[in-house]
Amino acid sequence: MTVAIEYYVLLSMALFCIGLFGILTRRNALMFLMSVELMLNAANINLIAFAFYHGNLTGQVFGLFVMALAAAEVAVGLGIILVLYRNFRDVDVTVPTTMRW
Amino acid sequence: MVLVELPEWAALAPMLLLAGTALALFVIDSISPRSTNRTILAGTATAGSLAALAVAVWFTAAGVGAPGMDGFGVIELFDGQLIVDQMALYFMIVVAVVTALVSVASYDYMEGHAYQAEYYSLVMLAATGMATMAAANSLVTIFIALELASLPSYALVSILKDNRGSVEAGLKYFLVGALSSAIFVYGISLVYGATGFLQLDAIAVELEALAAGDGGDFGGLLGLGILMLIGGFAFKTASVPFHFWAPEAYEGAPAPISAFLSSASKAAGFVIAFRVFTTAFPLDVTTELIGVDWTVAFVILAVVTMTVGNFAAATQDNVKRMLAYSSIGHAGYALIGLAGLGAGSETVMGAAMMHLLVYGFMNTGAFLFVGLAEHWGVGRTFEDYNGLAKQAPIACAALAVFMFSLAGIPPFGGFFSKYFLFTGAIEAGLLVVAAALVVNSALSLYYYARLVKAVWIDDPVVERDSLSQPTGLYAAIVFAAVMTVVLLPGFGPVVDTALDAAAVVVA
Repeated sequence: MTVAIEYYVLLSMALFCIGLFGILTRRNALMFLMSVELMLNAANINLIAFAFYHGNLTGQVFGLFVMALAAAEVAVGLGIILVLYRNFRDVDVTVPTTMRW
Repeated sequence: MVLVELPEWAALAPMLLLAGTALALFVIDSISPRSTNRTILAGTATAGSLAALAVAVWFTAAGVGAPGMDGFGVIELFDGQLIVDQMALYFMIVVAVVTALVSVASYDYMEGHAYQAEYYSLVMLAATGMATMAAANSLVTIFIALELASLPSYALVSILKDNRGSVEAGLKYFLVGALSSAIFVYGISLVYGATGFLQLDAIAVELEALAAGDGGDFGGLLGLGILMLIGGFAFKTASVPFHFWAPEAYEGAPAPISAFLSSASKAAGFVIAFRVFTTAFPLDVTTELIGVDWTVAFVILAVVTMTVGNFAAATQDNVKRMLAYSSIGHAGYALIGLAGLGAGSETVMGAAMMHLLVYGFMNTGAFLFVGLAEHWGVGRTFEDYNGLAKQAPIACAALAVFMFSLAGIPPFGGFFSKYFLFTGAIEAGLLVVAAALVVNSALSLYYYARLVKAVWIDDPVVERDSLSQPTGLYAAIVFAAVMTVVLLPGFGPVVDTALDAAAVVVA
């Protein structure tokens, strides 16, 4: 027997909200990256579940693209966090405050 | 008749030229990795973007993507994943022009920087992504192109690795960008869930079928998905509610990169918003399914964005930051193009496209002037700019042109695009938006005129040594100023092109 589509959507929404919560509360830039990763994977769960539901492969293939792009994004992000650490001796996102609005 | 029959994929030539230039720069870099030969690197980047510009202009003139007897028809590639129509070519022109100006100006601005080849190849890769965004016709290609434009931009903003401002700007840009792309892709997954398709035309067909049938079970998912897509566009175009990265990123980034992001990247963000909302979500059908008219969201966003941007800009002391907020305000003006679609008129979307082209010249020029001031090392606030006109009259005359054009004073290009936006908004029955446009333009004159007054009328606070005249920066600024003025007599063709392009997409 198959699991109804609603449960997949509930799972992915829960994952998305956990990620969003992490972004809003964490101050460590690395935790921030991990939270974004959670949100992207929530989208992947949706895409794959709906691909199964609709019976076409578009969503699964797009899921592969999303994974590749997430990896690229992390690579650039880690580079930026590295130069952040070199300049500020910290990876806390609230430390760099040379500009304020 | 055409002399040579080009294959269909050749319609993507502007984009392919930009990508090829990026690869050529990598080759040059791998031949001599430590080279700081600025002439070759900046020259290659400029030549590549000018070639892309020339091809895009040629295609537009020859009627590639134009429907009807005198055109080649809209060209769909890879099963409709990419599409080359007049709107795609129009925005490729905008991107190529800004890229060319930025490459020329970077020749002087990035003098002494250790990573020249990396800088130019990242600029060209980002430009490739923006050009692809112009042609993307599926949520897959839109997302990939968006990331191809974003990822090099994050690196470019923080490329001054020892400069705390630049690194901080890069971090904030990256964090907000990563968050908004996660929201965007989640929105895509919800739209896919509701319709089962990612190609824009297929989504529209499926929505019509759903509306004609029982309406489907996923109206709520679809509405939430569309809302999340709007979030992604708001980030790329620096509109409320994802605008707060813009002042930081533009202030901390190298000035040519600020110019690049605030002109080309913004225009690319608008083209995908135009494409997605006109093609994939036909207004009446979508309204029936989700129960809300999506133009309402854009009406609110347009008014709030232009008000927030202009009021915040009026309180700034730092010139670059003032321009950053003014760029948010202009995103609000261009959003009128989407807000007015409800009335089914293509005038207002054409007007937004015109505004983005004119903005590509005047705003790039203004940021490049800030780059020139940073090159001179005169400081960052309005007071530091006092009396620059006595030492550099040509650049300061150009600055006055940019400022008055941004404010929308009659003789310059900025006036005409705002005038079309205003009449378009009234035609579409958006009186509140039209009123907000006028009030905000009047307010913006205050802070734009303040900069012109500082430069031309006020006396310098401190004595300066004589200022150098860097060729590249001067050439880019003067060219942008000339174009801002020349667009006035040339506005007829621009209007026709933009309106035709908008009409095809809206119809």
